[in-house]
Amino acid sequence: MDTLAKLQILSGAARYDASCASSGSKREGPSSGTGNTSSSGICHSWADDGRCISLLKILLSNDCIYDCAYCVNRSTNPVERASFTAREVIDLTLDFYRRNYIEGLFLSSAVMQSPDQTMERMVRVAEALRTEEQFGGYIHMKIIPGCSSDLVRKAGLYADRISVNIELPSQASLQRLAPQKHKHAILEPMALIGREIATSLVERKASCRAPRFAPAGQSTQMIIGASPENDFQILRLSQGLYKKMNLKRVYYSAYVPVIADNRLPVLAAPPLLREHRLYQADWLLRFYGFSAEEILSDDAPHLDESFDPKTAWALRHPEFFPVEINGADYATLLRVPGIGVLSAKRIVAARRFSRITPDGLKKIGVVIKRAKYFITCSGRSFEKPDQPPALIRQRLLLGESSEAPMSILPKQLVLPGLIA
Amino acid sequence: MNRYLYDGTADGLLSSIAWILEEEPDPEKVTLAKRMDTLFEEGFTIGTDATLAESLFFRLKQHAPDAAHTLYSFMLAEKEGMETSLLHYVSLAFKHGDKVKGYLTHPAVRDIVNVAQKAGRELHRMKGLLRFEKLQDGAYLAKMEPDYNIIHPLADHFSRRLRAQHWFLYDVKRRMAARWNNGTLQFGTIEQFTTPALSEDEKKVQALWQAFFKTIAIPDRKNPRLQKSNMPMKYWKYLVEKQGE
Repeated sequence: MDTLAKLQILSGAARYDASCASSGSKREGPSSGTGNTSSSGICHSWADDGRCISLLKILLSNDCIYDCAYCVNRSTNPVERASFTAREVIDLTLDFYRRNYIEGLFLSSAVMQSPDQTMERMVRVAEALRTEEQFGGYIHMKIIPGCSSDLVRKAGLYADRISVNIELPSQASLQRLAPQKHKHAILEPMALIGREIATSLVERKASCRAPRFAPAGQSTQMIIGASPENDFQILRLSQGLYKKMNLKRVYYSAYVPVIADNRLPVLAAPPLLREHRLYQADWLLRFYGFSAEEILSDDAPHLDESFDPKTAWALRHPEFFPVEINGADYATLLRVPGIGVLSAKRIVAARRFSRITPDGLKKIGVVIKRAKYFITCSGRSFEKPDQPPALIRQRLLLGESSEAPMSILPKQLVLPGLIA
Repeated sequence: MNRYLYDGTADGLLSSIAWILEEEPDPEKVTLAKRMDTLFEEGFTIGTDATLAESLFFRLKQHAPDAAHTLYSFMLAEKEGMETSLLHYVSLAFKHGDKVKGYLTHPAVRDIVNVAQKAGRELHRMKGLLRFEKLQDGAYLAKMEPDYNIIHPLADHFSRRLRAQHWFLYDVKRRMAARWNNGTLQFGTIEQFTTPALSEDEKKVQALWQAFFKTIAIPDRKNPRLQKSNMPMKYWKYLVEKQGE
């Protein structure tokens, strides 16, 4: 099989992995070699599904011994199988990188003979890229659950980011849909990576020549909608991963039915709106100072479909509002629906020079379409004060009715700091 | 209210700003415009002094590095008719330091920051969207038609990234080129551009990239609107993956 045919099979098999970030690492790269990394990350193209392409995202092989129900590469699925040689992956990466198609390589794999054998082959590719080819670009490597901790450590020394996929949000679902995968085989390497990253950071403070360990941190991914967990369970899991394991990102991937299986739900379409709401809630956890318990509860365990999670929170907490634009601190401003990280920072910065008027608020680029129900400007309201939440709810729905619920999806979430 | 004129060059603009800041007690009260040499033009013309221009930028960089970066990005945009805003912005930057970029309620600050942001955004975008083609002699060539004059910072970026390669950037609209070879970066203009022959394996690598681009999209999630909003069609002309669409 030629490289082109393999590339089609092995990129097609890798596309369900949502992670594409190339940020978080700043590497100068060897002086005689090719490539460096940019801490804000660079997108090189956008695919027909609108998702950014920054890395050559491929599997080393799709020849899997596992039989996970949701996975296109499961051993009982009659798809064409292929495996790259290390040379092929290295040449593709360098040929693409030299033409500025990509920021680097994202390498994952099906489990070929065993986790150790697979992981070893993957590590060898990264090692050759870094040492023989002097490649200084970005490398994201998947860790195969169940491989030895030595291989995890080696992967972290060559890669910028490493990740272990949690796949499904609970042990029960894992057992049902991915019987060969075990919770402890996933969580153990995650904890190990977390410890190694922390140690490396301490060592690098003492000496800049100490080796870096996964400088862009670790991430994970879970599939949404293939198993019965509610949003509250998922969000609490993410919160735990951010707090206890120090993860940089949790990716949510709407379940796309690839093969029929009676253990899987039958969906008309991938749950894209749910995925979008989870990402919004995830942003609230990481950048807005919210906790999972504020966003959802056991009584209301699902994210609202009509409102983003912050607006939904605001409608449940009328006592928190109105927020005074000229007085509230940054953390309080962040809780106002429609005011994001950028707007809150702009408000705080502009207040240093003069009080902000309603007109000035618009001028500095704050969109008040949703915010106007929740703020005052030097004591003045934009809307009739003290409207009952039910009325605000209705007016927000009407105000947003010009866009259908799905058309909010095209707004891709952008990391604060990416665009200053 | 005093009105000043300059010769329309970048050096002229910066040196007249330096001059006004030095001589005028309240620079925010005066205006600055490009000299048109029309009959009824009023105003005092300030001569161009490249060293004065350079020293202004250097002092601003010391005093307010962020504001100097904004000034740099603004200059990439080659905008005319905003000289007075720029004068006021620089004056405010010396007064308030880097905090000035938060003073968005001030019209001059807002105008300058907005334009600088657009130029900066295109620069960031082109770092990703630029495409090199391998030529017969082993060098690489990338053509582009950016809205702003970003070839200098873009070439800087690639001189750190593709260090071991011999490459050219060519701004088709402005006829400007950058060349990196053996650790030195040069800039120049090209009067007559002829596209050199491609290397033999170039079409093969492009076909691989086109195949990857197609298969990496999830068919069930097709979303051309999102694709276009992230990657405006004006950039497609030189994108290998968008040829033949």
